[in-house]
Amino acid sequence: MDFDWLFLTEIVFAGLGAGGLYALTGLAFVMIYKATRVVNLAIGEMLMIGAYLCFGLATAMNLPMWLAILVAVIGSGMAGALLERVAIRPMLGESPISVFMVTVGLASILVGVVELIWTSEPRRLPEFMPSAPVMIGEAFVPPKVFYGFLVAATLIAVALAVFRFWRGGVALRATASDQQAAYSMGINVPRVFSLSWTVAAMIAAIAGVIVGAVGGISSTMGVFGLSVLVVVIVGGLDSVLGALVAGLLIGVVESLAGGFLGGEYKLLATFMILIVVLLVRPYGLFGTHEIERL
Amino acid sequence: MRRTVLKSLLATAVLAATAGLPAAQAADKEIVIGGSIPMSGVFAFAGIGIHAGIQDYVKMTNDAGGIEGHMLRYVPEDSAYKVDQSVAAFKKITSQNKVNFYYGDSTAFSKTINPELDRAGSMIMSGASFATELNDPQKFPYQFIAGPDYTQQFGILLRYIAQQKPGAKVAFVYSDTEFGRDPIESSRGVAKELGLNVAIEIMTPPGAVDVSTEMAKLRRARADYTIFHGYILGPIPEFISQSRQLGLQTQFMGTFWTMDNSTVMQMGEAAEGFMGVMPYNYYYDDSASAPMLEKIRSMRTEYQNVPYIQGFLSAMLYAESARRTLAAGQEMSAANLKAALNSIENFDTGGLIGVPISIRGNTIPVGRIYRADVQAKRMVPASDWIVLE
Repeated sequence: MDFDWLFLTEIVFAGLGAGGLYALTGLAFVMIYKATRVVNLAIGEMLMIGAYLCFGLATAMNLPMWLAILVAVIGSGMAGALLERVAIRPMLGESPISVFMVTVGLASILVGVVELIWTSEPRRLPEFMPSAPVMIGEAFVPPKVFYGFLVAATLIAVALAVFRFWRGGVALRATASDQQAAYSMGINVPRVFSLSWTVAAMIAAIAGVIVGAVGGISSTMGVFGLSVLVVVIVGGLDSVLGALVAGLLIGVVESLAGGFLGGEYKLLATFMILIVVLLVRPYGLFGTHEIERL
Repeated sequence: MRRTVLKSLLATAVLAATAGLPAAQAADKEIVIGGSIPMSGVFAFAGIGIHAGIQDYVKMTNDAGGIEGHMLRYVPEDSAYKVDQSVAAFKKITSQNKVNFYYGDSTAFSKTINPELDRAGSMIMSGASFATELNDPQKFPYQFIAGPDYTQQFGILLRYIAQQKPGAKVAFVYSDTEFGRDPIESSRGVAKELGLNVAIEIMTPPGAVDVSTEMAKLRRARADYTIFHGYILGPIPEFISQSRQLGLQTQFMGTFWTMDNSTVMQMGEAAEGFMGVMPYNYYYDDSASAPMLEKIRSMRTEYQNVPYIQGFLSAMLYAESARRTLAAGQEMSAANLKAALNSIENFDTGGLIGVPISIRGNTIPVGRIYRADVQAKRMVPASDWIVLE
């Protein structure tokens, strides 16, 4: 029997599409971890809030989709800043596990908010991406996955550029590498904290809108954050590059496992990678060695 | 210290006594329906409907004078769709009331509480689960399902398919959950018996967002019909829109929890032509053979979802079992209530189900195929009622 190369190609593309979303959400996670050393378990729920905000604005307030997305992203950013100010900053100096638990609590509060406002009924975001099929060579790539990947890739590129060239980005990196030194150089560290949560929430909101457009939105969509947690642990909690590489890697491996072995092997493959990486490089593929383990 | 302890003990005793009084006094002349109802949490959309359905039937019956001089009393507790909370609610409700019927919220709860039902021997139970496993009167003697179990739902779909296109190729797409896996193995055999060809079985991980990999497989199977099971909404619309983009000719179908009118309409354009099995008439069915739906519409002018109908029918079957037991002058024990339930033969549900029903085992193996009409925003019947023997 001839090997179906087209099938393999399509599956790899599908995996890259999913991986792009992992990488994007992973980026939001890493941004918070890098700047504030907080392992934010509520990242999936922040993504959900972004998607629901967009849904609410587009359906209840009848805004056009582009405006709904824009307002939702800004709103999410403000919510991120608020969360940081109200729930995270008072925890400065507490043990990492306490802060970690605060984010667990945050996650369940965010789910509660969504269920209170929008109930737990699963919903669909209005269609906003082009629906014409995308063909790369002979391979069919679902349009949402294709455009989702493009958006993710663009955002990641922008974020990387910002890190490198913008003053705020440099401040963020400085804070990440040495808080004391950053303070003494006149960097407003609390503002960097606030900035990192704001930007991360905005990135998460965009990821949420894409995830929601593909898979629909519900109060349980935060579980997406769990896959992202695996991605960032594999990549290294404080490495942007790690989040990107691990996101794509896990996306493709999951897709290959699902395509050739069956859906039940997807998570198995993901966690196998996690275990192997933790055994060989406990700080992740690209992480810094002295990461504090929980 | 001792005085405070005494005081609080006394207070508890007085509270317990007074709380127990009305229940104890009324106990001879009432029929109690307890329920672990998922009013909050991920399953709340169903729980709220179920709650309203039971509530309405109880009110309707009591307004009409009750059952053989007995009033129905409904005692619900929120379960948040968590087994431990459901069990706690069960304990609380059954310790404070003489419960005759109980509504459970999940398969896990139905299985967990089964030994307790056997031990108590005083009540029968149905619930939100359509699990095939529960359709075993030996293992679950005091439980029943107010509809067809999942395998029977597949059976109804497959019979319809075999009728429409003998020898058709069928795909099963299901989630990797207890709910999703439920009917798959048993339905393989059913499909074979009906001369259908199960071209592919695709399992998706729970909470899967992107289904492009699965779609690549489904596309190659070239199935005439694709049956989804183990989902409420996502990822079904994405499967449908991708297959439309690819120009795939397959008829998509769903089972009970996908088939509520509002759920299907959430799919937007992808809903057009979506089919599935539903054991009940929809809220808006205004045919002359459904007077009960007319009554429901007069009580509630807004659309009520299919869990509402399911809750309503459950309460109706509880009441009918009680009526038969009381009319025969028998004690309201679990064994007698279940025997009374199983004596139901050609029973008219007032049009909740379009044909007279009989309950031989633990289920009502009846259903009809519906098709989504997006313009009318309604599910319209695509077949007659199909009764499995």
